[in-house]
Formats: sequence, structure tokens, C-alpha cells
Amino acid sequence: MYGRKVKLRFLFVTLILVTLILTVFLILKSLEENVVFFQSPTEIKTLSELDTNKIRVGGMVKKNSINVNSDEVNFIITDFKNEINVSYSGAVPNLFAEEKGVVAEGFLKDRNFFSATKILAKHDENYMPPEVKEALEEK
Amino acid sequence: MKKKLIPYSIIFIFLIIFVVFYKSLKDTNIYTPETKINNDIPIFSADLLLLNENLTSNKIFELDKFYLLNFWASWCVPCRDEHSILMKLSKNNKLTIIGMNYKDNKKNAKNFLYELGNPYEKIIVDKNGTNSIEWGAFGVPETFIIYNNKIIKKYIGPLNQELMIEIKKIIK
Amino acid sequence: MIYSVVGHYSLILGLCAGLILIFFSIQNFKNSNQLDTKILSFSFLQFFFVLISFLALIISFVISDFSNETVFNNSHTTKPLFYKISGTWGNHEGSLLLWLLVLTLFIFIFLLRTKNQPIRYKILTLGFQQLIIIGFFLFLIQTSNPFNYLFPAPDEGLGLNPILQDPALAIHPPILYLGYVGSSIIFSSALAATTLKMVSSSWAIHIKKWVLISWIFLTLGILLGSIWAYYELGWGGFWFWDPVENVSLMPWLALTTLLHCILVLERKEILTSWVIILSIATFTLSMCGTFLVRSGILNSVHTFANDPERGLFILIFLFALIFLSLFIFFFFHQTSKNNSSNFFWLSKETSILVNNWFMMYFLSVVLIGTVYPIFLDVISSQKISVGPPFYHKLIAPFLIPFLFAMAIGPRLKWIRSDLKDKFYLISLLIISILMSFFIIKNFNINILINSILIFSALYLFFITLRDFFIKKYKNFAQNTAHFGFSLLILSILFNNLFSSEIITNLKVGETYDNSKTKIVFESINQKKEKNYKSIIANFNITNSEGINNKLSPELRIYNQPNITTSEADIKTTLMKDKFIVINLVQNQDYFNVRYQVKPFMLWIWLSVVVISLGGLVSFLQKRI
Repeated sequence: MYGRKVKLRFLFVTLILVTLILTVFLILKSLEENVVFFQSPTEIKTLSELDTNKIRVGGMVKKNSINVNSDEVNFIITDFKNEINVSYSGAVPNLFAEEKGVVAEGFLKDRNFFSATKILAKHDENYMPPEVKEALEEK
Repeated sequence: MKKKLIPYSIIFIFLIIFVVFYKSLKDTNIYTPETKINNDIPIFSADLLLLNENLTSNKIFELDKFYLLNFWASWCVPCRDEHSILMKLSKNNKLTIIGMNYKDNKKNAKNFLYELGNPYEKIIVDKNGTNSIEWGAFGVPETFIIYNNKIIKKYIGPLNQELMIEIKKIIK
Repeated sequence: MIYSVVGHYSLILGLCAGLILIFFSIQNFKNSNQLDTKILSFSFLQFFFVLISFLALIISFVISDFSNETVFNNSHTTKPLFYKISGTWGNHEGSLLLWLLVLTLFIFIFLLRTKNQPIRYKILTLGFQQLIIIGFFLFLIQTSNPFNYLFPAPDEGLGLNPILQDPALAIHPPILYLGYVGSSIIFSSALAATTLKMVSSSWAIHIKKWVLISWIFLTLGILLGSIWAYYELGWGGFWFWDPVENVSLMPWLALTTLLHCILVLERKEILTSWVIILSIATFTLSMCGTFLVRSGILNSVHTFANDPERGLFILIFLFALIFLSLFIFFFFHQTSKNNSSNFFWLSKETSILVNNWFMMYFLSVVLIGTVYPIFLDVISSQKISVGPPFYHKLIAPFLIPFLFAMAIGPRLKWIRSDLKDKFYLISLLIISILMSFFIIKNFNINILINSILIFSALYLFFITLRDFFIKKYKNFAQNTAHFGFSLLILSILFNNLFSSEIITNLKVGETYDNSKTKIVFESINQKKEKNYKSIIANFNITNSEGINNKLSPELRIYNQPNITTSEADIKTTLMKDKFIVINLVQNQDYFNVRYQVKPFMLWIWLSVVVISLGGLVSFLQKRI
């Protein structure tokens, strides 16, 4: 039969292969679970069934739509075709303002109502999140 | 054979990465204003340069009339070159020329007009460049032709004789 | 005006010096008895030219010369002098010029300080480094010249993005770049050593200093960026797994692994392939970071609007370097044949190798998490983002064996060893089990992984702590760094577990009260500074123990450009930070208030400083 060394080496290679496959599997699996998809208000309107996972919604904050009370910020995200109501309790970024691009992360309650857990901040007023840009261009 | 397999496959993988990066670069995430031809013009309100007034866009652009919107700044060298063309176009009464003064200083802008003449009927001040972004302008100089509140033609860079003839054809 | 001209031509002269240097190196390489003195003087000259043009840019910023486009875009006369100067590298053009400055400085120092190495090796390193430098020169002059010229000169500039007007961020880029650029020296020298087939112990000893230098700067650079994000962005966190942050972490992981491999290579000629690949990886990952950040293809909260054309240049440049190094690696590198036979499972090098694999795993997790969205977008044009849970889930469990190997590994001997001091190892193990059990019971931690993590970090903590008191234990540097790491993991864990947060909207005069904390919004003051107006809110916060704190967060409304930033008010004590930040919601009377109690924040910063201190000690240490 084979010598001890060859056997050992064979064992070693299989071990490495198995760990490699396991790691790749693990990474892909948790990628799948932790990925957040982006949708525009129009896409949400046309959804056949509601997504229960965390998603991101992007568009413009509609003019005169921000309304604040003591524990919530409410506003409307629009892509100039469709709109969605967002309620959010949390800290708002500095560049959050009406008629500016916004991306909200959270969960869909129904097709017209979105409960956000996070509003993404930007550093630069001229910077537009790509999702928003694309969604706005499609209109 | 076996020895060469590894280098080749690694090089292949890197090539794929290159292609992917290259493609995503083409479709970059940064908001570079796209050519929005045949799109409605944005709605805005802005200060005027020469008059102490604040106008909304529907006051500036009326329906059924041709407008030429020119983005310019006193610090922009090509703007100087195309200014004579704008002066010529301003004599055409079918066309109203509106200026958008981009990221400029008021005093310099006024000096510029004093020196080279003023082809503009109205000049909108866009001090920080946000208005221009909404319009989808890349920089200065840039020229849009507007009819019925739609952008029907867009020229990036300075105007020249040929483009002037083309513009005259459009408004006929 | 005049400064821009001087700066511009000085850049072009620097580029010429680079071309001349390449020419001389080829000549010198052919008959290599002695290092040509011309090479030394020209590389000094090159550094000098870049320095001149960098100074010219600084002066243009200081005197607010708006005929320079870069100054016009990024400065303003009302800006304080400090930020006028830091504004020089706060923008794309200036930061590239800084890269170039450090690049030329480092290669000059390299030529001066490298003794006892073959001349051909020095010349070849210089040659590779010049390729990088020339690439940067072309990039700078072609696509992002900092001396572009505006006519007529505007009277006033557009101002620096206020979020960048911050002391930590003023020194963050230079420090980080020192780390990045240091890795370029490692890259060139590894390529040169591979070509000349001299990847050996003596080379490892020589390159170790450079590895340490760049490692220290990279560590500190990341720390500064993180501190900045903590108090300026107002999210009350220090690490968000944001792509831009990941991009600086990846070279760090590669560099740390490289550092450990070099330690092995110093003593024994194994792991040569590892060392070469990691040297290449560190620099390409740094470059890749620059590419991803500067081209804007990454979807990050830190992204600033910029120009995709520049990205194309970096991309082509980056891949040219990658293919060049791949070619050199496969063509010239031969693995020594007798390496696998004399591996013994219980030895220092085995434990380092095991941790290398763990590091590679962490690196690939971060890499995949960062670039996966880009790939998916290209392939299926789905827009996604990968959130922190992904990283936590994949990294936390593997930290446990990693920490154990960190604790035990250094105690092993090279080549072949058995465990000594078994008594101490086991007794400390028991102590940490008891300690962590106590902590878990007392504070109701119910996540298994966290409890085991606390236990393993404590174990590393005790072992390294004990080693400080053993005089005969020589490896002080390593011990300091590992001690710092255990402290870091512990502080991060406690910080995550025991942070509390209140977010509410309040009007002036209103009070928020839950059973534990009472927040009274007492008043607001307004203040006018040179380049901004500020609204200062006064809060009185009482916690359950009746301790009173007055905190005054601030909102700054900058005049040029017109941007609002929140300045958090942070009360730092040894054990915890109290952090409050406000934001004004447009057209509303409500202020958005976020109050956080974050334990051990100070310890997170301190432990990173301790880690880099370990590097510094090793750098200053004379080799015994």
C-alpha cells in the first residue's frame, strides 16, 4: 500500500479541502441571510407579495411631508411616480431634508407603509445614493 | 501541465475581477447628472443676479416659447470664447436666453458682463451648484434648449459657429 | 498664482527625475559593483521636487489663492488657518500629492538606510518603486492636477466640507498614507527579492523594519479614522463595517499576517511563498482601497462625490501591478523543497501558520462582504448591501480559537517544543473560566458565543499580563501587542453588551423620562463663529443612581458650503462615555435627540494604542 507519508499528505489535503468548502458554504449562507435589497416605491407597489425581510427604500423626501412628534419622524419617500409613507424612530442624519435623496432601511408593513430602523447618512450634499439615482432615472 | 494550471487559473480569476470592476466603473454610483433630453425641466426658485428678485421656474419659462439656458461662470475660460456666439443669438427674437451663473462670485460675474456684453434676459444665481445638478448639468459651459418646459437639446462645452446654425434651425 | 506655476513645473521635473532614475537603474543594474551616486542624488532631487510642489500647494491654500482650482473647490477665506492647511490633503488632488510625497521620501530613505544588501537588489527595488511613482505622477498630472488654473480668479472659494473640519481627520490621512506607502516599499522589495531569488532570513531581518513602520502607521491611521467617526458622525459607534472602513482593514489584516510570517522567516527559511504573496497583497489591497474609494463604485456612507474617470486610471494601473507581480511570482519563485518534512505540530511556527489561516479567513470575509455587492450589481443588476450582522456572525466564532492560539503560541519554542509552565496555563484557564462565569451570571449574557469570547479574551489577557512580570521573558514587544489585542476584544465586547441608547424627539423645555433616565432639554443658545453659526442645546441628564450630568451638544451651520453638522457632546470617564447628539429636523420645532451610554469606549482607543506600542517597541529593539 502507500507509505505513511503519502497517507498523511492525503489526509492533510482532504482536511484543507473540506475546511475550504465549509468556509465558502458558511460565507455564502450568511451572505444570503444578511443581504439587504434595495427597492424603489414603484417596485414596492408592484410587488406580488410582501417581503418580510429587511429592505432599503430610496427616493426623494417629498416636499412638506416631514412631520415630527415626540417619538417618531414621519415622512414620504417618492420617486415621482409612486410614494410610500415612512415612520422612523431614531436619529436622523444631518443631510436629511425635504427634496433631498434619502435611503431608509427597515421593514414593510404594507404596500404604502414602511417602518424604518435606520436612515442612511451621507457626507456630501451632491452625493446621491446609486439606488436613488437609478430609481429616479427610470421614471 | 499541472504546474501551469494554477498560474493560469489565478490570472483568469483576476481578469474576471478586472472586468467586473471595469463594468461597475462604467455604471458608477456617483450621481453624475445624465443627459435628460426630453425630460421636464426641474421646478425651482432662485435669486436673480442683476435684479433683486426671487423667481420660480414657471415664471421664467413660459410654454410655447423657445428658451436657451446657458450655464456659465466668470472664472470659466471657454465661457469667454462662446460669449460672442451668445451675443449673436441674443439678437434673434424667437429665442430667449437665460443664464445660469454657476458657482460664481457676483462682482466677478457683473464685471464679466460689463466687459463682454449681456446676452441674457434673466440670470439665475446658482451659488453652490445645486440647481445645476438638478438640471443635469456637468459643469460650465453648457447649453440647453427648452421648449414647452422640456429640454429638447443639450450641448456640453462651448458653443461655436456650427452649433449656432444648428440652434437656429431648431427654433425655426 | 506664482505658486501654482512653481508647483506644476516642479511636478513635471519630478516625473522627469523618475524617468532618468529608471534609465540609470538599468545601466547600473548591468554593471553592478557599486551603487551609482547619481541614483541617490536623483532620488533626493525627486523627493525635493515633490516637496516643493506640496509646499506650493500648502502656500496656495494658506494665502487662499483662488486662481488655483483645487483651492477654489476646497477652501474659503473664513476658514481657520489649521483647516486651510489640512484642507491641502483633505481633497482628492492634494491627498494624491501627499501619497507621492511619502512615496518619494520613503524610497530615498530606503536607499540611504539599506546596508549589507546586494546592490542589484537595491537597484531593482528602486526600479519597481519608480514604476509605482511614475504611475502616480502620470495619474496626478493627467487626471487630477492640483494646480489647475482658473481665470479670472474667483474672489471666494467653495469651502471645505465641514464634516472634514476636524482635528482627528486632519491628521488621519497622512498617517494612513504613511502606512499604505510603507507597504509599497515592501511590495517593491519583495518583487526584487523574488526576482533575484534572495527571499531569505537576512532579507526578512532587513525588511522587518519596514513592515513594522507601515504596520504602526496603518494601525494608528485606522484608529484616528474610527475616533473621528465616533464623535463626528453622531452615530455613536466606532466601526460600522462600512466598505470604506473595510478597505482600510484589509491591508491591515494582510500586513499583520505578513509581520508574523516575517518573524518565522527570520529564523527558518519556510513560508517564503506566504511572505511574497502577502507583500504583494498588502500593497494591492491598499491600492484597491484607493481605487474603490476614489472611483465611487462602492456604495458607502463615506463616499464623496467624485469623478469616475479617475477610477479607470487607478483600475488599469492597479491591475498592471497585479499582473506584473503575478508574473514575477510564478516565473521566478521556487519553493524550497525541504520545507514540509521538518514541521512539528507543536511549535511556534505551526501556531503562527494556524493563525495565518485564520487571518486569511477574516480577510476573505471582509473582502467578500465588501465586493460582493459590486459583483452582484454587475451580474444581475440587483442593488444590495451587506450589513454588520454578516461580519459579526462570520468573525466572532472564529475569534475564539484565534485568541487561544494567540495566548499559547508565543509560549512555544521554534521548530519543536512541548508546553512548559503547564501549571500556570491551566490555573489561569480556570481563573478566566471563573471570572467569565461570574460576569455572565451577573450581567445576564445569554448568547453563547459572547460568553465564550469573553472567556477566551480573558485567558489571553491573564497570560499576557502575567508575562509582563517574568523577567526572563524576552519578547516584550509581542506580549504588549497581544495584551493590547485581548484588551481590545474585551472592551469591544463589553461596549457592545452594555451600551444603552435613548432616541427621542424633544422641543426646548420638554423632558423625557423613562424609569432609568431623565433627560431635560433646558435651553438653547446661539453663537456665531467665523465660518459657522452654532446652536448649542443644554441638557440635564439624571440617571437611576441620581448622578447629574450637564451635556451641551451643538449643531453647526456652516456658511460655505451651507451644511449642517452635529457636534456630539461626550463626557468621557474611565469606565464609560456619555454621548449625546442632536439634530434639527427641517422646518420643525423638534430636535432629534440621541443619548447613549457607552462603557469602555476609552479602553477601545487605549488598547489600539497599546497594540501599536508593541509594534514600536519591536521597531526600536535591537535584534539580539
